[in-house]
Amino acid sequence: MSKRVLLHVGCPKTGTSYLQDVLFRNQTVLREHDILYPADRFDAHFLAALDLMTLPWGGLETEAVGAWDRLAAQVRDWHGTAIISHEIFARATPTQVERALASLGDAEVHLVLSVRDLVRQIPAEWQENVKHRSHITYATFLRTVRDPARESKIGSWFWAVQEVPDILERWGASLPADRVHLVTVPPSGSDRGELWHRFSRTFGLDDLPLDLTAERENPSLGVPETSLLRSINQRVTSILTPPDYRPLVRELLAHQTLSRGVASARLGLAPDDHAWAQDLSRSWVATLAGRGYDVAGSLEDLLGPDAGTFADPDTATADELLAPALDAIGALLVEAARLRAVEERLHGELREAHEESDRARLTASYRIRRKVVTGLEDSAAGRGMLDAYRRLRGRGSRS
Amino acid sequence: MTGPRVHSWIAHLRDGGTTPWLAWSDRGAAVPVPVPVPVPGAQQLELLRRINLARGSGATRGDDHGDDHGARTRLAERVLAAPAAGRGKADLPLVGHSASGFGPRPVDPSSVSARELLRVASVLVADDLVGLGADPVHPTWPRPWRRRFRLVGDPVLVGALREDLLARGRPEGGPRPFVVAVGAPLDDLLARTWTQRCFETGTKPWAEWLRFWRERDQLPARADLLASVRRWQPRRPFARIVTDLDRLPRQVGVRRLPEVRVPGADQAELARRVAAVVGLRVPAEQRPALMRTLQRRIPDTGAAPIDVPEREREWVSATAERMSRSLSRAGYSVVGDLADLAPRATSAGGGPGGADDQQVLDLAIRMVVDPSWRSRRPSRGEVGQ
Repeated sequence: MSKRVLLHVGCPKTGTSYLQDVLFRNQTVLREHDILYPADRFDAHFLAALDLMTLPWGGLETEAVGAWDRLAAQVRDWHGTAIISHEIFARATPTQVERALASLGDAEVHLVLSVRDLVRQIPAEWQENVKHRSHITYATFLRTVRDPARESKIGSWFWAVQEVPDILERWGASLPADRVHLVTVPPSGSDRGELWHRFSRTFGLDDLPLDLTAERENPSLGVPETSLLRSINQRVTSILTPPDYRPLVRELLAHQTLSRGVASARLGLAPDDHAWAQDLSRSWVATLAGRGYDVAGSLEDLLGPDAGTFADPDTATADELLAPALDAIGALLVEAARLRAVEERLHGELREAHEESDRARLTASYRIRRKVVTGLEDSAAGRGMLDAYRRLRGRGSRS
Repeated sequence: MTGPRVHSWIAHLRDGGTTPWLAWSDRGAAVPVPVPVPVPGAQQLELLRRINLARGSGATRGDDHGDDHGARTRLAERVLAAPAAGRGKADLPLVGHSASGFGPRPVDPSSVSARELLRVASVLVADDLVGLGADPVHPTWPRPWRRRFRLVGDPVLVGALREDLLARGRPEGGPRPFVVAVGAPLDDLLARTWTQRCFETGTKPWAEWLRFWRERDQLPARADLLASVRRWQPRRPFARIVTDLDRLPRQVGVRRLPEVRVPGADQAELARRVAAVVGLRVPAEQRPALMRTLQRRIPDTGAAPIDVPEREREWVSATAERMSRSLSRAGYSVVGDLADLAPRATSAGGGPGGADDQQVLDLAIRMVVDPSWRSRRPSRGEVGQ
């Protein structure tokens, strides 16, 4: 029986990809220290979340059948500490939370929520939407997010995974406050290792010999790059299926090509939106401070940076888009060339297989038998005879 | 005190009640039965109320006249525990009950849209389907003298005929088969391709799906008759393009074929939603048989099949002309007339923008309330047969 379960349920855009990558790659070391991170593939906990929440996800959900129950069973069977981590758990409804906690048995459950200020989260979530096929403008996105009715899918999803006090009410209602841990993302410009130190302390990973090399991150895009990607989405979202979009646009263009534009302006909030986000954050900080949760970092981190110069992605000029657009064309051409090479190789292999098959059919006896069979197949009586013959020979009559 | 009030309302609904939340006056009444904690969302509660209304009306009642309190309670518990599938709204709190200042804005459950209720109802139908399991397939001994054929084209028709012929000892395939491409006016062919997709893996909504192909200026594989024939690489005498369905039986070596009814727009839309949930419930290889079972058993509402909207008709006409020219140049035998591939001049009257959400919800509720679609044996001639 697992003694402790550390259940990390969000939020998106808080360094979760890096944390999950470290946990996934270091499973063996962790086990040696009685810590279980049960994942046979990197996205195992994402699939478990889809299953728990009955969430179709562009076809990926077919790989998620029974994933939550399997994960929970592994956790129940473990004798030490187990870690579950995925940011979209943040969206679970109270009923799903109840089911999730019940399926973890009588382990001591600790809830972990990593959180970042709204001033940075709002632009980051817009970028994330753009990287997931959306072509909503930044201005519309902001209007949607600020609409208290939350009628749209985007607004509804945003607040479900970003409204920290609500997430904690849903997930933490049945847990004592000292078993709820907030990990705040340090302010911009802090030491790069600071966030990891906070995660490490919360998950009890300090002093373990973990390989912390960053193999998988979810890099952010600059203003012109995001604007370009949104324009590309306007053209391709309706004609590219998710299985094609993911490798070609999200991975190749967004992650591997456009995120390299480190010199580009970073996206922020316009002064009015900035003031609104900070006011809201202040009210959250006051609420959270009164609940007595364990905090790694400081609740003040949730207030975010002061307003800076705002670069509006909706008004990016053609000149600004030119450089990333050329980078994108270059990357796609290289990828097309690679795929052509793969296609060429496969054609070659197929040709060889055909030649081999033709050589086997060149014998005179094969040609005679083929002629007889062809003749018989032209009439019902002939087909009946052939079927009878094949049954006698012990072959199925269907082919 | 809103807590006891909501709990007594939930108990009222669990007991088959139909009073809307805002009209519920029995504030703070003692509750003799346990209530679910946490409180379900407005979507689940309102769906349960609508289900109770449907049960009470008797309009959709099937063979459950002997239904008892236990069955009603079990159904109520299933409804209250069912998630709303997909990326829509979170579970919505009830107006006048939610004490928290966070989370979605509380709502009057009776104002929740049919689309939101469908997200929950489709989960219930999917779970019923998974519980039912796939109908067994009973192929008979293949007739040795049968004509060898391979059917392509109109997916609704072809899928149903393939099953019928298999049951009659005439499985598809075999050495040197005739490739028989079943054609139809291209607007019908597209609508049926989408419809059949709904009864397989599910797909995007009709309007989005059609736009996808129009913007690509391509046809989906099964609606592209030339590509469908060429995929099997038949010699020219072994391919037939059939547009005259009266002459189709001879092409596959039988005297008659069953009537195949094309599912209505509401049936297809519900199947599309159910397929997504079934994909999360059973391994991928089990979904096709389950969805075929749904196609055979889904109750008929008399709704017309989906139809191509006016704005897409110009593209459909141009594409049909192009397909006819390509088929003509390819020189395959035509049973009928390639001119019949042209879209119909006017809409057949189905739902061009997709089925109405309320219609789909009514069908889903009917299937939840009336279990006869699960208990009866499907007969030949029904959808998909």
